[in-house]
Amino acid sequence: MPETMTAPEPVMDTQPKAQELSLQGALNLALDEILAEDPKALVLGEDVGTLGGVFRVTSGLAAKHGAERVFDTPLAESGILGMSIGLAMAGFHPIPEVQFDGFAYPAVNQIVCQLGRMNYRSRGTLPMPVTLRVPSFGGIRAPEHHGESLEALFAHVPGLKVVSPSDPQQGYSLLKAAARMPDPVIFMEPKSRYWQKGLVTSTESPADVSGARIARPGKHLTLVAWGAMVSRCIQVAELAAEDGIDIEVLDLRWLKPIDAEALATSVGKTRRAVVVHEAPRTSGLGAEVAQIIIERCFGTLKAPVERVTGFDVPYPSGDLEDEYIPNIDRILFGIQRVLEYKRG
Amino acid sequence: MAEIPFPLPDLGEGLIEATVLEWLVGEGDQVERNQPLVEVETTKSALELPSPQSGKVLKLHGAPGDVIKVGEPLIVFEVPDDTAGIVGTVPSEEAPKRRVRLSANLDDD
Repeated sequence: MPETMTAPEPVMDTQPKAQELSLQGALNLALDEILAEDPKALVLGEDVGTLGGVFRVTSGLAAKHGAERVFDTPLAESGILGMSIGLAMAGFHPIPEVQFDGFAYPAVNQIVCQLGRMNYRSRGTLPMPVTLRVPSFGGIRAPEHHGESLEALFAHVPGLKVVSPSDPQQGYSLLKAAARMPDPVIFMEPKSRYWQKGLVTSTESPADVSGARIARPGKHLTLVAWGAMVSRCIQVAELAAEDGIDIEVLDLRWLKPIDAEALATSVGKTRRAVVVHEAPRTSGLGAEVAQIIIERCFGTLKAPVERVTGFDVPYPSGDLEDEYIPNIDRILFGIQRVLEYKRG
Repeated sequence: MAEIPFPLPDLGEGLIEATVLEWLVGEGDQVERNQPLVEVETTKSALELPSPQSGKVLKLHGAPGDVIKVGEPLIVFEVPDDTAGIVGTVPSEEAPKRRVRLSANLDDD
């Protein structure tokens, strides 16, 4: 060996590993690690075993961790949740999947009446460490029941936590954090972002993913979003910068509980807020976010909090969803209404 | 890559088989969702079958004149592993377009 060459540095297992992954791949990696680290973890749902999930999130897991720990269920969402609740009572940590958001409705009775209440009902003796993965929201032009925005429904149920990742790193970190929680977590995966790639750093100790995160810093106005709307809001912020408007994008991440401090800190600085979601407007989570901002920032707000949302109609299928999901121009209109507001 | 077989679907009205009239795609072709794949004839009518998904055509079953029963293999697709089995369409990443411009007086900020 010539003297000028140096021996390769030993690879340290303890070093964080960064790799380019899609959101699918990041979630798959998280599940793989959860199953390896936690012998009580189980993955169950329609087609999650042999097929590896319709979105390939559970691909290869049954072959690697065994068909007893990663298994297919009948097409019966109420049964998937009922089984998960029973498994949790028996000491397991189930990670069930409901294949599409619209298929969660048949499981609502189990989720609301059992999953959310068992810990309370049993005076803390039967915690429910269940992480329910739900491919959520629109954006893939799917048929009815394959694109819904159920966060407000679940956030209203006592005992449940609700979270939605916005990119591959968030998907990896939030899923690992959710699986370690003693409480039931509704994990809403933005299906239109499954193919988005990004650098994912995996770590042995879980990253701090409590509360919201600033996805893009800014000073004139805060855009509040979650799930698939975060990347759209970042696009909007870049366009607004062309007009001299510096926008902060707050990725809420946790939809129950909502990080009120992060909202107050961001809007306290920018003094203007627009909240964006795909779900229908009436009683949507945007109303909750707006009220939290009003409670914390009423004196400093320069304009009422604006909502840019879906409409009060069933989530439309196919190409019609382009007219329904908040697009760049609708979000810009919302921002403009706030910017030009004059106290009368 | 994953192989996805597409059997002859139930064409309704109690029909149990169809005759291949003409293939509209060839092996090796890249097809899009809803693109016509094949013209088949039943005892009721001739009709075009649209593709249930996008993918590369790996194999065609049956030459023109062959009878295929409902549920028997018609065509096999090859698709990348991360898109196999998808319901709906993988969204395309487009450069953001805008029509709305912002204007504000931020002097007192």
